[in-house]
Amino acid sequence: MARLSPAGTTAGGVGTVRGSRGAVPVGRAAIGPAGGADAQARAANRTAWLLVAPAVAVLLAMTIFPAGYLLYASFRSFNLMNPDAGRFVGLQNYQNIASNADIRQSLLITLLFVVLAVGIEVVLGLGLAVILAKQSRENSIAATILILPMAVTPVVSALVWRELFNPNYGWVDYYLQKFGLIDVPIDWLGSSTTAWITLISLDVWQWTPFVALILMAGIQGVPREPKEAAAVDGAEGWRLFWDIVLPLLRPFLAIAVLLRVLEAFKTFGTIKVLTGGGPGISTEIVNLTIYRTALQDFSVGAAAALGISFLVFLSIAVPQLLKVLARNTDLVEG
Amino acid sequence: MSTATRRWLTSAATRTVLWLVIAFILVPLVWMVSTSLKPAGYAQTIPPTWIFKPTFEHYVGVFKGEAATPFGPLLLHSAIVAISATAIAVALGLLAAYALARIPFRGKKFLAMWILSTIMFPPVVAVIPVFILAGRWGLMDTYPALIIPYVAFNLPIIIWTLRSSIRQIPEEIEEAALMDGLSRMGIIVRMVVPLAAPGIATAAILSMLLCWNEFLFAVSLTRSQVKTAPVGINEFTGMFGTQWGAMTAAATVIVAPVLLMALMLRRHLIEGLTLGAVK
Repeated sequence: MARLSPAGTTAGGVGTVRGSRGAVPVGRAAIGPAGGADAQARAANRTAWLLVAPAVAVLLAMTIFPAGYLLYASFRSFNLMNPDAGRFVGLQNYQNIASNADIRQSLLITLLFVVLAVGIEVVLGLGLAVILAKQSRENSIAATILILPMAVTPVVSALVWRELFNPNYGWVDYYLQKFGLIDVPIDWLGSSTTAWITLISLDVWQWTPFVALILMAGIQGVPREPKEAAAVDGAEGWRLFWDIVLPLLRPFLAIAVLLRVLEAFKTFGTIKVLTGGGPGISTEIVNLTIYRTALQDFSVGAAAALGISFLVFLSIAVPQLLKVLARNTDLVEG
Repeated sequence: MSTATRRWLTSAATRTVLWLVIAFILVPLVWMVSTSLKPAGYAQTIPPTWIFKPTFEHYVGVFKGEAATPFGPLLLHSAIVAISATAIAVALGLLAAYALARIPFRGKKFLAMWILSTIMFPPVVAVIPVFILAGRWGLMDTYPALIIPYVAFNLPIIIWTLRSSIRQIPEEIEEAALMDGLSRMGIIVRMVVPLAAPGIATAAILSMLLCWNEFLFAVSLTRSQVKTAPVGINEFTGMFGTQWGAMTAAATVIVAPVLLMALMLRRHLIEGLTLGAVK
């Protein structure tokens, strides 16, 4: 980034200069033939921005613009049936959601879902990765099968889950009874605890392979030398894993956790189809609450205030996670 | 117990665990495919029927649509949306990825970080304005209303995947071409596209898979003209109550192409989904 030029400081954003360092190259430019380099840098700048512009435009249109629109809507009484009749209501929408116990519950439910699902997936995924890391024909077949759940359309996996856990004809209740684990069929989606078990088991089925395959790649990349050195010192089994392998696995754990957390916060289709947020609102994560409030109850103002609050929460929490990630991997470099 | 015995026992135990896990992973898929092939009357029995003469009657029913909306058009809509969104996203993503990989420019680091950070943006926040504006501009239940959001949501993954494939191309060839007076656009079309073809294919397949599976925007923005398969199957079961044969046949038809794509990608699936961080 040291391509600096005297013109850069005055070119109003076209040059490559960072203002504070402009003074240094002024002298240098006076000596060397930097005029050509400057023109070249400006041309490069223009080309680069032209190349990224279309992608950036679409991304802006689907992130910053909706966020701005929602921010605007969140200060108004905004009903979907009559969008133009909205009037300015100040912070009223925010006060309403802050005092709404259902919404506070939905935020807690969201956190609980993310922590439970990702937590279980990481523990199981790590165990699976350890087994899979040894290279063999058998493991390579297993790893291939492991890819499948991730690709299954979430709506379909939710529908399949609903029928597998069906209390009348479902395989789950039938085989649990047959093996004597339960006496009477369980109505899985009928009570909140069992609905949670059903829901989490679906997410675990679909996404544990993702974590496992990331960690498998990580374990396979652990160099032999430290393992052998530790083995010579008498470390074996769990100690070897805990002291040598796990620290080296940290970047992979960081990636897996970050991406799973981000995706878990976006979960919509599976829960919508499997439980619809129920029974009651016991599995209604915030995405479903926002969707219901806006597109089914038509209270866009309230949904917007909730959406903005969720966005603010994510933009505080996610950079913290990204920092952990940046410390551990090279994903986030210029 | 000798070391050899203990080692054999450990290995036997881990293999048992592994194959139990694999069985657990396959059960839902086995249920889906086997139920779709059971003759009417055998699909929903207690105890489950394991021995039966396979039939394609449910598949025929799903496409002929004797009772519900025929499924063919829904699959067509899904394919059109997935292919168009992917084509646009790969084209735009390639240009951006090239600039980020090769050209030093002002604001590059910030831009790269911003593009990466858009993966955290919750789609449910975007869907409300898109829904309102699509209604106002008469775009409800049209292809663009679905394609544009899908382009946006796939761009970060595509840009990141392509940026790392472009970086693997030796830069010297391009420098020589630049000296010879070829424009950046010329370089992208004539050199980067062929040399980064495997990366482009990976990004494209991954993007199609994600578009095909998308539900939130599809259920909010489509009614009948461009209704996609995941939206259709969700309503379909409601209409059929618990008609397992029809539902599982439709489910198998929806899932088959994405499973195929995942198997084509194999380990590149993880590479793509982790934005190239895990190879």
